[in-house]
Amino acid sequence: MLILSLALRNARRNTLRSFLTGGMIMFGVALLTCGMAWTSGAFGGILEKASNMMGPVRIVTPEFARKEQLMPLEENIEDLAPVLAAARAAPGVTGAWARIQMPVTLTVGDDIGEHFALVQGAPPEWYDRALDLAGHIQSGRMFKVDDEASGMCAGGHHGRPPIEAVVGATAAETVGAKLGDDLILDGQTQDGSISAVKVKVVGISDLGSSAQNKFVYVSLATMQCMADIPTGATEVLIYGKTIGDAAAIAAALTADPALSKLSVSSWDGRPPFNSLASIIGALKSMAAGVIVFITALGVLNTMLMSVMERTAEIGVMRAMGLGRLQTVVLFVVEAMGIAAVGGLIGATLGAVVAYYGLEVHGVNLGGAVNKMPPGLAIDAVIHGDWEPIMFVQCFGLGLLMAVVGGALPAFRASRIEPVEAMRARR
Amino acid sequence: MLNKLTVWFLPALAALLAFVSHAQAATPTVADLLAKIDANMTYDTRESFITMRVTKSDRVKEYKMHSYGRGQDEAAIEYLAPSRDEGTKMLKNATELWMWLPSVEKTQKISGHMLRQGMMGSDMSYEDMMDAARWQTMYTGVVSGEETVDGRKCWKVELTATATDVSYPKRIIWVDESAYIPVKQELYALSGTLLKTWTMSDIRTVGNRQFPFKMTVVDEVQTGSMTELIFDKVTFAIPLQEEVFSTRWLER
Repeated sequence: MLILSLALRNARRNTLRSFLTGGMIMFGVALLTCGMAWTSGAFGGILEKASNMMGPVRIVTPEFARKEQLMPLEENIEDLAPVLAAARAAPGVTGAWARIQMPVTLTVGDDIGEHFALVQGAPPEWYDRALDLAGHIQSGRMFKVDDEASGMCAGGHHGRPPIEAVVGATAAETVGAKLGDDLILDGQTQDGSISAVKVKVVGISDLGSSAQNKFVYVSLATMQCMADIPTGATEVLIYGKTIGDAAAIAAALTADPALSKLSVSSWDGRPPFNSLASIIGALKSMAAGVIVFITALGVLNTMLMSVMERTAEIGVMRAMGLGRLQTVVLFVVEAMGIAAVGGLIGATLGAVVAYYGLEVHGVNLGGAVNKMPPGLAIDAVIHGDWEPIMFVQCFGLGLLMAVVGGALPAFRASRIEPVEAMRARR
Repeated sequence: MLNKLTVWFLPALAALLAFVSHAQAATPTVADLLAKIDANMTYDTRESFITMRVTKSDRVKEYKMHSYGRGQDEAAIEYLAPSRDEGTKMLKNATELWMWLPSVEKTQKISGHMLRQGMMGSDMSYEDMMDAARWQTMYTGVVSGEETVDGRKCWKVELTATATDVSYPKRIIWVDESAYIPVKQELYALSGTLLKTWTMSDIRTVGNRQFPFKMTVVDEVQTGSMTELIFDKVTFAIPLQEEVFSTRWLER
């Protein structure tokens, strides 16, 4: 109790120094709060969006999994029906849909090879569940699925209804496509033959990320015809209630003998996310570590000044019976007292900025996201994600800053010999 | 003694010199070989019906084509089968390649790197399939020896391109000594990587030339990929309608 009252008295004695120490803690804690909220929102958003896009759980052939960067159409699941049935019967599964993706060139003139894009074919239910495509149509409407039109892509178009497509905003802008335009998608069949499909642009979508805005979205039947995989697809994507269910669903499907020849994986077990999750964790820890370290250095500096100013006083206290351990505790408690006040203000200030500035308003990255590699679905506006637990975490880290920064000066104070200290008269 | 030498040694020396000079005369020059290959493989006009069989791992796809060629620069192909590719047409005019795709009812130009991609997923590029340029004008090289390929005595010739815009900067070819057909070719990239092995067989006499009715191309980069080209019917030096080599023919 005596130590505590001494520490508090010392903290009040030099208000400027205490204010400086507390200010540093406050700034460090506020920065930490904002940093944690922003990284949590940014990385969490990227991971959730990407896992939805890629399928929280995915079934492909082992060869497709091995060569997936090449999007090998020839490595497809030939007969979808039993695979979809097995997937939908697994516990925790709320939906399972097939998908085919293919690189294409978009043509508006006579030349092939002017504009590259990716075309994606899946049932409308998948577009609703994974992308909310209909909700992100910038102009026009969602495509309608017409089996007659989609299934006859290999023949001419005379007398048949047009195949409809929604085009991502970036792809539409690149190729100069407008609503109502005929767009030619030049791709390949699974055998490598040239396969071209004429689609009518009925909608232009803005899904908020550059990767998703480079896609052309069509029905699964259109892609099956285009790729010449009449009853199959390259991927089956499976969804639970949340992405947290992915591991359990993947485990259940892996154990299913009907799927034994196929490759089942949850999103965090597939590249690039299998390594990205740990990299993100390391980055977050590193950022927090840097903030704690720098703030602790500031605390160390002011507390060291305090020890040097009070050498004689410490000598007297030591002569009057204050032990070494008590001296250490005295200075650490002083630092923690200042940190408690600074940390409380910092965590509050940080929470306000993190919530209103980052989570509600967001940070607009502008055109920078267009330079991101395709596959990383990064939104142009990144929103933070502040949670109440961060208040406690950051306040705790503020106290840690004080302990780390105050420890060395405290040990230095504890080594002061009373006689030498009084002789120095400081 | 001197007489004995004169009697035995000089005739033996003369015989040896004659043998060596005969042997030297029997090894053709690269220019001769390329001229004879060109005489067999190039044409003024050609019409053919071709079956192309593409094997990739365990999947085999067969195409039927009707092909026309005129000189070194003009070629046209119409796909007759399978049904999804029926009516697809290709037209090569000098360095330009046009394609009619019935699925989109549109003529499109294939340009740049796409010319060197596999035609209809095969191991033969559009250039391979439609190129009829004379090797004499494109390559120089050395005859590096004699080897037997599939029971045929061949000259082994290493060719290096004299131009920079050729598909294969280096070829090693084995030329049948009697038919003057390159029964085997190894096609290399500028880096020295072996890209394809191309063999020619079923050599038959067509008019006054020898012509291989079967060609097999193996992609040495992509394992498990092979393309066979079987000429069901070939006719040379026939009159062809002017329209065949126009974009009007594509859209007909």
